[in-house]
Amino acid sequence: MASERYSFSLTTFSPSGKLVQIEYALAAVEAGARSVGIKASNGVVIATEKVPKSILVDEHSVHRVEEVSKHIGMVYSGMGPDYRLLVKTARKKAQQYSLVYQEEIPTAQLVQRVASVMQEYTQSGGVRPFGVSLLICGWDNNRPYLFQCDPSGAYFAWKATAMGKNYINGKTFLEKRYNEDLELEDAVHTAILTLKEGFEGQITADNIEVGICDASGFRRLDPNSVKDYLANIP
Amino acid sequence: MASVLLAENQEPGFSFENCRRNAFLAKKGNALPKATKTGTTIVGIIFKDGVILGADTRATEDTIVSDKNCSKIHYLAKNMYCCGAGTAADTEVTTQMICSQLELHRLSTNRDIVPVVTACKFLKQMLFRYQGHIGAALVLGGVDNTGPHLYSIHPHGSSDKLPYTTMGSGSLAAMAVFEAGWKPELTEEEGKLLVRNAIAAGIFNDLGSGSNIDICVIRRGSVDYIRPYETANLKGEKQMSYSFKKGTTAVLDVKTVPIIIEDVVVHHTGEAAVESMDTSS
Amino acid sequence: MSILTYNGGAIVAMKGDNCVAIASDLRFGVQAQTLALDFEKVFPMGPHLYLGLPGLATDTLTVRDRLKFRLNLYELRESRKIHPKTFSALVSNMLYERRFGPYFVEPVIAGLDPVTFEPYVCNMDLIGCINEPEDFVVAGSCTEQLYGMCEALWEPNLKPDDLFETCSQAIVNAFDRDAVSGWGAIVHIIEKDKITSRKIKTRMD
Repeated sequence: MASERYSFSLTTFSPSGKLVQIEYALAAVEAGARSVGIKASNGVVIATEKVPKSILVDEHSVHRVEEVSKHIGMVYSGMGPDYRLLVKTARKKAQQYSLVYQEEIPTAQLVQRVASVMQEYTQSGGVRPFGVSLLICGWDNNRPYLFQCDPSGAYFAWKATAMGKNYINGKTFLEKRYNEDLELEDAVHTAILTLKEGFEGQITADNIEVGICDASGFRRLDPNSVKDYLANIP
Repeated sequence: MASVLLAENQEPGFSFENCRRNAFLAKKGNALPKATKTGTTIVGIIFKDGVILGADTRATEDTIVSDKNCSKIHYLAKNMYCCGAGTAADTEVTTQMICSQLELHRLSTNRDIVPVVTACKFLKQMLFRYQGHIGAALVLGGVDNTGPHLYSIHPHGSSDKLPYTTMGSGSLAAMAVFEAGWKPELTEEEGKLLVRNAIAAGIFNDLGSGSNIDICVIRRGSVDYIRPYETANLKGEKQMSYSFKKGTTAVLDVKTVPIIIEDVVVHHTGEAAVESMDTSS
Repeated sequence: MSILTYNGGAIVAMKGDNCVAIASDLRFGVQAQTLALDFEKVFPMGPHLYLGLPGLATDTLTVRDRLKFRLNLYELRESRKIHPKTFSALVSNMLYERRFGPYFVEPVIAGLDPVTFEPYVCNMDLIGCINEPEDFVVAGSCTEQLYGMCEALWEPNLKPDDLFETCSQAIVNAFDRDAVSGWGAIVHIIEKDKITSRKIKTRMD
C-alpha cells in the first residue's frame, strides 16, 4: 500500500494530506468494545459493554466507566491501557483547576484540556496517538453535557452517540429512539437497549457498566442497580 | 513541548524570580513585611465515637487583627478535617493541596474512604520536603475503617499520634484544660464541652487567639461542622449612627460609566461541534 | 520602614446595599519625597470588578499586568465573565506561587457577582491568604487608621450615596494621619447598572 510509506513517522503527512497513524488509531477505536452516551433533560448516562476475554476473568476487577471529578465521568472505546493514562490525566487536570480557581472544573474545560493532551500525542516525537475515543459526561451550569474526544484531539458535543464496534448501527438505533425531553431513567433504559442491539450473548449486570451524572454528581451504578434496569427490559 | 503547544498551564511549583531582588531590598535596610499568621488555638480530642476538632477564628498581621472570623478547620476528605496554625496562607494552601492529593488517591485506589494515616503521611512528607519553611502546624483528625485517629503535625514534618492534642500560640492554655479534664471514653456532649473550654482558654488567655469557637465533630459516617459553635465575644450594639450627611465630601470630578447591556448572547459549549479536525479523507 | 510603605498608599473597600465601594489615595512617592499626585492604585478588571494593589509601586504595576493577562486568558478560554470569588482565588494562587520571593502588594478586590450581582469584597496578605469579611477591607500604609475609621463609620445596607460618603470620609480621615499616603483620592461606587468614579477634595500636605 502506498500510504504505508508515510507511516514510518506519525508526524509525517502523506501526499494526499492524511496522517495515517491517526486513522489507524481510529481503527483501533472501531475495533474496541461499544460504548454509548445519551443526554437526558435531567442528566446524562454513559454505558459500555465489558465482555471478558475468558470466563475465568474476574469482571469486577477493572472498570471502564470512571469518575473524573464530583460531577464528571468518562468511558471509552479502544485500548484499555491508553485509557488509564487519560483517566489519570483528566483527574489531575480537574484537581489542578480547582486548586487555582477554588471551583469545580466545567465539563467543557476538562474536555478541552484532555483533548489538547490527545492532540499533543499527534504532533510530538517518540510517541503514538492514543488508541481510544472518550465519552465524557458532566453536569454543571445546571445542565448536562456529553462530549466525545477522538485520538486526533478533535472533540464533539452530542445529544446521544455510540462508539466502538458497529457504532454506525448504534447511532442509527439512537437516532430512532432519541427525543429532546427524554428523562434520565428512560435514557438509561435506551442506553442499555442500544448495547443490547447486536450484543453477542446474554446481557447481564456483570458484562455492562453504566454511569450516570445529574445535579447530585457523577456515579457508577453498582451491578445491583443495573440488574434492576435489566429486569425492565424484555 | 507543552509550553509551546499549550500556553495555558503555568509552570508547576514555586517561583523564585523575585528572591534575589527581595534579598537586595532587605540588604538596603528595607524591612520585609510579615505574612498573616493565624496566631491560633487549635485542638483535637478523641471521644467515644470519633474525633472532635476545635479552633478559634482570629488571624493576625503582627499585632493587628486582620480577620475576626477566619476558618481554621479545613476540609480534607469527607471523613477527615484538619486544623491549621502558623502562617495563614501556608495552612490554607497545604490543606488544599493534600485535599486534592487525597481525592486523586481515593479515585485511583478505588475506595470510598482513605485512611487518616495516609493523609498524615502526605502532610508530613510535604512539610519535611520544605524543611520547615512552610509554616504550617496542623491538628489532623478523622475516622476511618480502623476507628478514630488524631495526629498533630509540626512544620518540619514530625508528627504525634495522640488521644488529645493542641497547637498554636494558645496551645499551652488549651492543653492545661485537657490535662485537667480529658479522660478516655468521653461522651460527645462531654467532649464538645471540653473542646469549648480549651478553645475559650486560648481565646481569653492568648493574645494571638480570639473571636469565636468553631467545632467539628467527626463520627463514623457523619460530620457536624459547627461554625460558629459559640460567639465568645459579642459586639455591642451601635447606639448611634456616625454617618456623614450627604454632600460632606467635596467632589472635584465625577465620571459615571453606565453599564448598558446591548445584547446578550448565551453561548453554550454543549451544543454543536465545537472544533473538528477532519482526518477521514 | 517596611518595603510595603516605601511608596505609600491606602485602599479601602466596603460592601453596601447591592453595591460596593472601593477607594484609593493618589500619591506616589519615594519615602518622604512625593513624586506624583495621579497614581491610581485601583484598576478595573471587568465591568463589575475592581482590584486595588497597594504596596511597592513597581509590584503594583507588575502584578496588575500579570493578573490582567491571566484574567484575559481565563475569560477567552471559558467565554464567560469571571466571578469575583474566582478572581480572588486566581490572585491568591499567583501570589502564593511566589511564597518564598513575594510581590510586595496586599491586594483588595471589590465587585459584584456577574450573575446575581451580589456584593463581594476581600483582601489578602502578600502571599495570598484571603480574608472575606461581611463588611469592609482595608490595606496600605495606614491600615490602623483605616480599621479605626471603618469600624466606627461602616453600617450595614448603605445605599450608594451614603456608601460613597462613608467610604470617602473613612479614607480621607485615615490618610490625613499618615505622612506617606493621601494627596487626593478616587472613590469608585460599583452598582449593577453603572460605575461612578469620583475624585474627591483632600488635604494636599
